[in-house]
Amino acid sequence: MLKIIFGEVENSIYHPPTYFDNQYEDEWITEPLTVAMIKDIDKSDVVGAHLIESPVLGPISTKEISGGVKTLILMAFDQSGRIFNASACGDNCVKWIVELGRKKDLTINLHHVMDFSSVPEFEAVMLNTGVVVHSYGEYLEEAIRIKER
Amino acid sequence: MKGKYHIVVQNNRLRYEFDIRRNITIIRGDSATGKTKLISLLEQAASLGESSGVEVLCERPCRTLGGNDWNLVLPNIHEQILFVDEENKFVKSQDFAAAVKASDNYFVIITREDLANLPYSVEEIYGIHTSGKYHDLKRTYNELYHIYSTEVFDSMEKPETVVVEDSNSGYEFFRAICDKNGIVCVSAEGKSNLKMVMDKLGSESALVIADGAAIGPEMNELYQMMCHKPKIKCYLSESFEWLVLKSGIIDGKMIQDILEHPEDFIESRRYFSWERFFTALLVEHTRDSYLQYSKNKLNKTYLHEKIQQEILDVIEAKFILSENI
Repeated sequence: MLKIIFGEVENSIYHPPTYFDNQYEDEWITEPLTVAMIKDIDKSDVVGAHLIESPVLGPISTKEISGGVKTLILMAFDQSGRIFNASACGDNCVKWIVELGRKKDLTINLHHVMDFSSVPEFEAVMLNTGVVVHSYGEYLEEAIRIKER
Repeated sequence: MKGKYHIVVQNNRLRYEFDIRRNITIIRGDSATGKTKLISLLEQAASLGESSGVEVLCERPCRTLGGNDWNLVLPNIHEQILFVDEENKFVKSQDFAAAVKASDNYFVIITREDLANLPYSVEEIYGIHTSGKYHDLKRTYNELYHIYSTEVFDSMEKPETVVVEDSNSGYEFFRAICDKNGIVCVSAEGKSNLKMVMDKLGSESALVIADGAAIGPEMNELYQMMCHKPKIKCYLSESFEWLVLKSGIIDGKMIQDILEHPEDFIESRRYFSWERFFTALLVEHTRDSYLQYSKNKLNKTYLHEKIQQEILDVIEAKFILSENI
């Protein structure tokens, strides 16, 4: 289940892309889920654990993929128990965050009201208030009332 | 610092081209649009100059600002355009806001967070996208676009409720119009209260009138609320004082000239946001006249029918508030 917590929180990584550069494992990169996320967000192809083919930049290293995808990969595979700041992700990452939250318990930290409108129906626990939301509308109304950012 | 600056940052694969015209510009948007790459190119150019292979074309020096020693570095930089990447948590701090206010530099900040301490304009919140005009096989051309589409703002229907950000002169002006036209008028008493007032609105149609010059930190949430409650619309001029100046009720070619390109007149160190400049301009140009303006209490002359209509005409190009006054 997806859990969302707004504001400063212990054990969270404010800038996941830097954490990713220093902590990622090669085997994460060639996982089908990662390959699909890199294709969808970055429009790039995973050639191998160390090489990505970008339509804009040409052949690039894994460390040059977007900050949003790096954060998604951490949410999917990191086992450290850290909470990752999803404000490093653009709204084009929302469907993947929701999908990850459907597959596993995923807690994300937000410092802004992320726009989940591209996924009208989803379930999430708003940890600041304990309220469970079932749609984008419920999420937005609850998020607006939470003061922490 | 004042003025508009055209910036080109390029290597043999990427070209970014855009204009910066206020002290604070925000870049946000989808992942993988090239925000971090732009910062990386600027860092390389600042560090190695021409030998980096990155070309930066701008009338003013462009460089990045970041790290734990930003507050030691910043006082030594003047009249430059400073780019701050999203990893720098200090952009949310009161210390940074105070430093920006006292600075004679322009700041371009990459962040999705709403920086409540900084009064940035809705007009200066951008995303990056690939230009359809110049795209070629060798190089990708990137440009800035306004994140907030004005389509959701426009409405030609008379609202049932008007919510005004102001609590003083601006509110008094709109309340008088609403009273004549059977519209409920509410003051939010500040931009940070707007979303709570909007949240309490039922299914009635509503128009929110706020100062676009400093509404930036509220826009992400207001915009989502407007999209979610389509009967809520928003009118964002620079400020109420800008509306008065724009209406032409105060004589002078100079004022209209300033309004055409305010960036050439507004010194960023003196005016943290443009609304403060427009207030000062209006106060200065009406002093000791029958239109003498005070932000705290509306001069009743502004409620005279002809003057009221001239100010309203500026709004009613986009919104209907009155059938006739």
